[in-house]
Amino acid sequence: MITLVIGGSGSGKSAYAEGLLENFTGTKYYLATLQAEDEEAVKKVEKHRMQRQGKGFITLEQPRDVCCAVEYAAGEKCGMLLECVSNLVANEMFGECICPSESVVQKVLADIKTLAEKLDELVIVTVNVFEDGIIYDTSTMEYIYALAQVNCALAQLADTVTEVVVGIPVSVK
Amino acid sequence: MELYIGGNGQDKLNYVLKNRNMEENQVWNNLHLWFREKLKAGGQPEKELREYVRQHPDSVFISDEVGNGIVPSDEFEREYRERLGRMLTEIAAQSDRVERVICGIGQRIK
Repeated sequence: MITLVIGGSGSGKSAYAEGLLENFTGTKYYLATLQAEDEEAVKKVEKHRMQRQGKGFITLEQPRDVCCAVEYAAGEKCGMLLECVSNLVANEMFGECICPSESVVQKVLADIKTLAEKLDELVIVTVNVFEDGIIYDTSTMEYIYALAQVNCALAQLADTVTEVVVGIPVSVK
Repeated sequence: MELYIGGNGQDKLNYVLKNRNMEENQVWNNLHLWFREKLKAGGQPEKELREYVRQHPDSVFISDEVGNGIVPSDEFEREYRERLGRMLTEIAAQSDRVERVICGIGQRIK
């Protein structure tokens, strides 16, 4: 079962996504894609870690190439929370070199599909970055479209799609 | 307590006044602007708002949704979006009624 959770900044999407795996009885992994590169990111990682504490997640850090986590996913009855697709796409796109968006979209989708095939439960968190009406520079716009394409494809793949609005789940699919 | 959220210019105030049969002085409109000003002045809007809610448990709040965009490069803008989002989530959790207003039409989500 694949669930896609989407929301804006501070919408409570993480807490909701974690709650989806609350009663899952197998091994639970938290696949973190946020790289703690500066003080603010370190704080954010720590905040998420505190929020997850006691919920039974094993944290895996994988800023890119999330298919590498497949070795953990292959065990008996595994669930995974992938957080989040927006960081993943940014990390794949703006790594050591700037990768073309088409190949990033294809790669991210292929990697997530590889994981999904091995997992009993996959909860994917992504962000709504599409409604501020600002025209950004070319590379940011390319990133926005890449993330949008990934989100659309993941929504097709998912059994359930839920938008979180001020902490309230709103069913999309 | 009630919370009405939605994008900028979605006619939220009129929607609330008309459909909830209220006067303008019964609602706290543009909560996001107040929150932003407090934050800008170095205040603790969360603390003030919690105290206000404690004293006025039947409040009706209207706020813009500001979190659905690219994370801003400006530190204050990032903090504002994140903290307002958390605060609205907190208010929503305590509210009996939450509606999202789009094109002047409300969708009740709680």
